[in-house]
Amino acid sequence: MSNDREEILARLRAILRRPDLPFPPAAPAPLTAAERMVVTEAAGTPYQLALRFGQELEKLYGSYEIMGSAAEVRLALLHRLDSWAAEEEAARRGPKTEMQGQERMVLGWAPDRLPVEGLAEALSDIGWQLLAPPRLTSPEALANVRWIRFGVTGVSAALAATGSMLMIAGPGQSRSASLLPFRHIALIPFSRLYPTLEAWLAERRAAGDLELLLRSRAGWNLITGPSKSADIEMNLTLGVHGPRHVHAILFDDL
Amino acid sequence: MSTSAIDLSLPYKKRVDDALHNKQLKVALDRATGRMAGQRVAAMGAVDAPRLRAQVRQMKEHVLRTWPELLEQLETQVTANGGHVHWAKEAADLQRIVVEIARKANVQKVVKAKSMATEEVHLNQALQRAGLKVVETDLGEYIIQLAGEPPSHIVAPVIHRRVEDIAAIFQRELDMPPTLDPQVICGVARGVLRKEFLSAEMGISGCNFAIAETGTCCIVTNEGNGRMTSTLPRVYVVVMGLEKLVPTVEDAFLQYQALCRSSTGQQCSVYLSMTSGPRKPGDVDGPEEFHLVLLDNGRLDMLAKGYGEALCCIRCGACLNVCPVYREIGGHAYGSTYSGPIGAVISPNIHMEVTDVDKLPYASSLCGACRDACPVQIDLPRMLLELRRDVVEAEGTTLFDRAAMQGFSKMMQSRSSYENAGKLGSLASNVLARLSGGNLTFLPGPLSPWTESRDLPPLARHSFREQWQQRRAARKQIV
Repeated sequence: MSNDREEILARLRAILRRPDLPFPPAAPAPLTAAERMVVTEAAGTPYQLALRFGQELEKLYGSYEIMGSAAEVRLALLHRLDSWAAEEEAARRGPKTEMQGQERMVLGWAPDRLPVEGLAEALSDIGWQLLAPPRLTSPEALANVRWIRFGVTGVSAALAATGSMLMIAGPGQSRSASLLPFRHIALIPFSRLYPTLEAWLAERRAAGDLELLLRSRAGWNLITGPSKSADIEMNLTLGVHGPRHVHAILFDDL
Repeated sequence: MSTSAIDLSLPYKKRVDDALHNKQLKVALDRATGRMAGQRVAAMGAVDAPRLRAQVRQMKEHVLRTWPELLEQLETQVTANGGHVHWAKEAADLQRIVVEIARKANVQKVVKAKSMATEEVHLNQALQRAGLKVVETDLGEYIIQLAGEPPSHIVAPVIHRRVEDIAAIFQRELDMPPTLDPQVICGVARGVLRKEFLSAEMGISGCNFAIAETGTCCIVTNEGNGRMTSTLPRVYVVVMGLEKLVPTVEDAFLQYQALCRSSTGQQCSVYLSMTSGPRKPGDVDGPEEFHLVLLDNGRLDMLAKGYGEALCCIRCGACLNVCPVYREIGGHAYGSTYSGPIGAVISPNIHMEVTDVDKLPYASSLCGACRDACPVQIDLPRMLLELRRDVVEAEGTTLFDRAAMQGFSKMMQSRSSYENAGKLGSLASNVLARLSGGNLTFLPGPLSPWTESRDLPPLARHSFREQWQQRRAARKQIV
């Protein structure tokens, strides 16, 4: 209620005006950009950063490969999907009918939002279908992707120091593609690779669009490795709600 | 009434007693708190921890000093992003607001991501009374919801349960085939909860921090249930304690990293989900309605009473994992949503019904391990002492206590009376100890509460001064 709002704010201001208030201090300085620390450091050439990214991801039970060109990425993606599909087939317990024909579908970002061209065609050539629905908000639309086991996305930024991927949702860039499938492949061009989170933030802040970017894109997700939990007696379990497997294909586009 | 091994409505002493006599709890606590504390030390040791702690502290002090302005800024930005902001003074206000949002949006089912604030105000019960189905989706929270128990740790809610207990709960409630494999149990939960995510109309989460300059609410999770909750349902509601603010995007990421390293020893959690209002035109997915509910429920009282420093808490749970008392008695013995040293400070201030809440400040050895572990350098032992002072001032002291303190004061003012008291104490305690067969296990009369929960070693037969003189006399003189 608006009354509650006014009362809360008025009371808060009255309390903070009290000279005898033991906490907070009278005029603590805000943390400035110059003094704010970089928590986890990383540096190096793009290839070294790609290596660091991959190593950090591997520590978290993810996997990675580094490619020299976009053409190699297409092959790597197809190979990865085929080998994962074989793994799934071998591990399948229930009948195939449960998959409702979705076993060779890939939930992805729209082809024009992926960092490599011609992926939809390349996939279709060997019997895969890249699905990028413009809307995933109705129960019917979600039912159409319910059993898809594979997701393919790009990244808005990848951060080498921690093996993290920033996904900013927007038209053609669903939040679901990196969340709903059991296995997720992220395509990361070197041009999107930054040493640290702080380096990416500094670049956006200097460009003057950080605030606008966050306000104009409602859903940001920083993803660091496969979904996990230690809730059961501190035992590591993977793939609790999000993907159990996260694979990064990094490639040189510089 | 809870079906937990420890009934939260029992008196404090009984709760502690039950916890101390629960051997399984002891094993589970040792394992979990030991591991989490070790992981924190390693993760903080890998970076410039003193600088990180000082910077987060500086940022939080600035937040509390500019609190009203930041709240207004947050409200303006959330509204500009297309969201709705609600203000709740008390638990009942928050319950009413969320039930109303659900009714207006024609919601039948709610999926929830882990949130201490909603636990604090018993939101689930209020929603259920309004006829809604509420499903907790954090694996730990889901387990304790099935068992009908409250969480026992800020970060690891089911820390008190063994895998055998969890498997039994799943077999009973979900018809799971017998197994003790955590990965299989997890797979069962994934399947069951995925259906719930896909059919719920409303998602509710807490808020680890909200960015005032952009109106962005952030949740930190490892499982992905936070992402599901903020992505799939039509309506997304964030419940946030009034103090969970950061001024800028950079401040958010600084606090985020301090939180992850202090909480579970991770560099980054698996997911950091940042929501700035409902989905934008052209977005593929995301909620169509976004609500932020700001909760006071005693937080302003905490500031007014001089316990504002506790409002810097970022809920990492590090103080629980290092506390020698928490590690013995676990979360339920505190009887409150918030346990451990930070819980002992928050619970008496926040508007919650907690049996024997005035005893919680005494659930500490004042060793200071919590202060050393805190990523915001909160001086918890000082506040626990001040809370004890409040209790004494409110309840008054007994005639015996006053007389004893006056006698002690007099004794300390004269060397001879101090020495004589020491001799008398040594003699008496050694006689009593001999009767007890080692340490003193009982003290007479008004002193008896001291030995109710601990033994007292007898005083040394000779004072330090006497021993020192004897050593000096025995030393050879070098000429």
